[in-house]
Amino acid sequence: MSTEIAEYHSIPPARRGLLIAFKWLVQAAIVIAVAGLVIWLGLAVREALARKGIQFSFGYLGNVANFSLSEGVVPSFAGGWPILEPFSPSNTNLQALFAGLWNSLKVALSAIVLCTMFGTLVGIGRLSTNWLVRNLCFGLVEAIRNTPLLIQIVFWYFAVVLRFPPASAASNWFGGLLASRSGVFLPGLAVSERAGAASWGLLAAAFALVAACVILRGLRLRLIFLAAAIAALIVAAVIGFPLGLDLPVATRFGARGGFAISPEMTALLIAIVVNSSAYVAEIVRGAIESLPKGQWEASASLGLSRSHTLRDIILPQVFRIVLPSLANRYISLTKDTSLGIAIGFPDLFNVYGTVSNQTGRNLEGVVIVMLTYLALSWIISACVNGLNARVNGRRTR
Amino acid sequence: MTTLALRWVHRNLFAKPFDAALSLVVIPLLAWAVYAFGYWVLVQAHWQVVGGSFKVLMTGIYPADQLWRAWFSVATLCAMFGAGLGLSLRPGRSALTSVAVLAILISAAVATAIDVHSGMLTAASAALGIAAWIGAHRWAVDQRIVLSGLLAGVVAIFVVVSPPGFEVWGGLLLSVVLTIAVSILTLPFGILLALGRQSRITSLRVISTAYIETMRSVPLILVVYWIWIIVPLLAPDTSVPGLLRGMAGFALFFAAYVAEYVRSGLQAVPKGQIEAAKSLAMSSWTLNVDIVLPQALRVVVPSLVGQILDIFNGATLVFIIGLTDFLRAGQMILADPQNSGRTYEIYVFLFAVYLAIGGAITYASRRLEAHLARGSR
Repeated sequence: MSTEIAEYHSIPPARRGLLIAFKWLVQAAIVIAVAGLVIWLGLAVREALARKGIQFSFGYLGNVANFSLSEGVVPSFAGGWPILEPFSPSNTNLQALFAGLWNSLKVALSAIVLCTMFGTLVGIGRLSTNWLVRNLCFGLVEAIRNTPLLIQIVFWYFAVVLRFPPASAASNWFGGLLASRSGVFLPGLAVSERAGAASWGLLAAAFALVAACVILRGLRLRLIFLAAAIAALIVAAVIGFPLGLDLPVATRFGARGGFAISPEMTALLIAIVVNSSAYVAEIVRGAIESLPKGQWEASASLGLSRSHTLRDIILPQVFRIVLPSLANRYISLTKDTSLGIAIGFPDLFNVYGTVSNQTGRNLEGVVIVMLTYLALSWIISACVNGLNARVNGRRTR
Repeated sequence: MTTLALRWVHRNLFAKPFDAALSLVVIPLLAWAVYAFGYWVLVQAHWQVVGGSFKVLMTGIYPADQLWRAWFSVATLCAMFGAGLGLSLRPGRSALTSVAVLAILISAAVATAIDVHSGMLTAASAALGIAAWIGAHRWAVDQRIVLSGLLAGVVAIFVVVSPPGFEVWGGLLLSVVLTIAVSILTLPFGILLALGRQSRITSLRVISTAYIETMRSVPLILVVYWIWIIVPLLAPDTSVPGLLRGMAGFALFFAAYVAEYVRSGLQAVPKGQIEAAKSLAMSSWTLNVDIVLPQALRVVVPSLVGQILDIFNGATLVFIIGLTDFLRAGQMILADPQNSGRTYEIYVFLFAVYLAIGGAITYASRRLEAHLARGSR
């Protein structure tokens, strides 16, 4: 702004007013042109819809959906308590979109956690002193980044997950994990009948204490809170722990119990985690390499081992550098869940497609879906920016 | 020799106890994986399914008597790729030899899998590419001439391949032509958006920023699908082919990404130059076109080449609007009950081709980066 004023000083006053007026005119012309374009688009679309006898309105969201989804839950009320129950065809279109969003988030959040872990490992592997490990990681990352995500997704689905043994002969790994072509079953948590309100309260308290530990600063306070949380857990266990381990059991028609993951979600999750890990690995590697080499040398001359240096000196700094790039990766990953449509995973985009096919309301739906993805992107970058400020805040000031 | 090898093994695989442990775990696993995969590729796999459906994989349902059009595009692409290489890479003996060996291998593979005729056409295209490479380097052609030549090549491909109709485009041909067309379409639009985002005119800046940010936070598949749906509503009397609608969707989406790359290039131009130009009373148009943009674009050329890979990989999403690209063609072959047991053969072939093309694009982008970095210092 100041440069503009400085520029105007060199112009005679009579012309200055004219110039400013001209600039305003340009601004107005641009706004009017873009607004005109948008309005023309809107009118043309409305007219086209009117010709088909459809009006632009969001009323259809309240109508009964009349289709079923292979997975997905909707919020509902049971005796005054909000619960999540499986989506059924008698639910509304809005609830269907919610179920789709739920499925997208389910995959996105699990993938964010897993790809950060694996990606960091592979990124460190790319800098290993072991030639074989280093080049293996490099080859893996290159192969994944140079092939489309979609072929990776369909490969994992059609060539891997659907080739798992049938449910009756499901492979059983590590005692609790069942893999069959009707999905993957993990040990889950089940509510036990003998739990009282007191033990539930203690469990909630333990959770709150652990959360406080994460948020609070100060080692002493954290230790006290952690000890209190452990004490609460022990007491809860003694008076009847409300949650029990629920191991899946293979039956002739599938598996019973445990935490079930559908084959579509299994394939999509594996594909996205593997794909994003490659990108995260590159981000982590770039960050490690961007740190001054002198730090490695200094810590080596202090007699620290390479793994010690990595853990205590390099990685804490890397964490600060990679956050913005990781945020971008997380956003891409969330958008990538929309490719689940290729293997029939009912994510938000897939459900939107079904709803708009049933109702003929593409435009209303696309507005909702676009706004949802925009909101998700903003939430992710807000979270990471907040973390970034927390991590880097003290250093910049 | 053996001592050297032993020393290499010691230093690279068994330098420390942890490294040794890793090596002892990784080497047997790797050996087993290589053996299992090699055995499958050489002994167990039935590659006839790929040879038998090669035409579908490469061109989809493109009419068989019009295939010379597809061959024309292959030859033109080879020549364009060769000329592009000639600009950035000296045709050294080792590079030429490796390309020639590769070309002979591919031609031999095509000749044994399909027919001798196709193999010879492949070899001729490869030879044309090498000739263009040497030619572009030998005569040190002006960059502008090469660029307009590339553009002319793209237009020629489009004109020659179009006549049988956009509906019959398919397979790898569709993926490649879509990628090239979208890469070129996004460039001007992306540059304008980047300039708009940097503009001093507030309304222009706000609108450009809003466009870029919106496009960057929604999935590509949604944009492509939506453009595909909305075009018939906007132009009810004319029927726009699905392929062109798809291209429009891709271009609108990737322009936002190009804009961000170009913006980073714009920021790399030293401020002093802009101030100097302003103090010479240069208009902002001349300033941008003659001073800022040439330097900014030069910086972002490697990123833009890398973006071509994103577009090529994204081209698989055209299944959502019912087009049959390379991946979809492979899936259609597998849908035939006769080939249902050949899943791995088809997928391995698709992966290999995607990896080869993607690897070439990545390699080109890296070479360009090194080349430009050398020149600019």
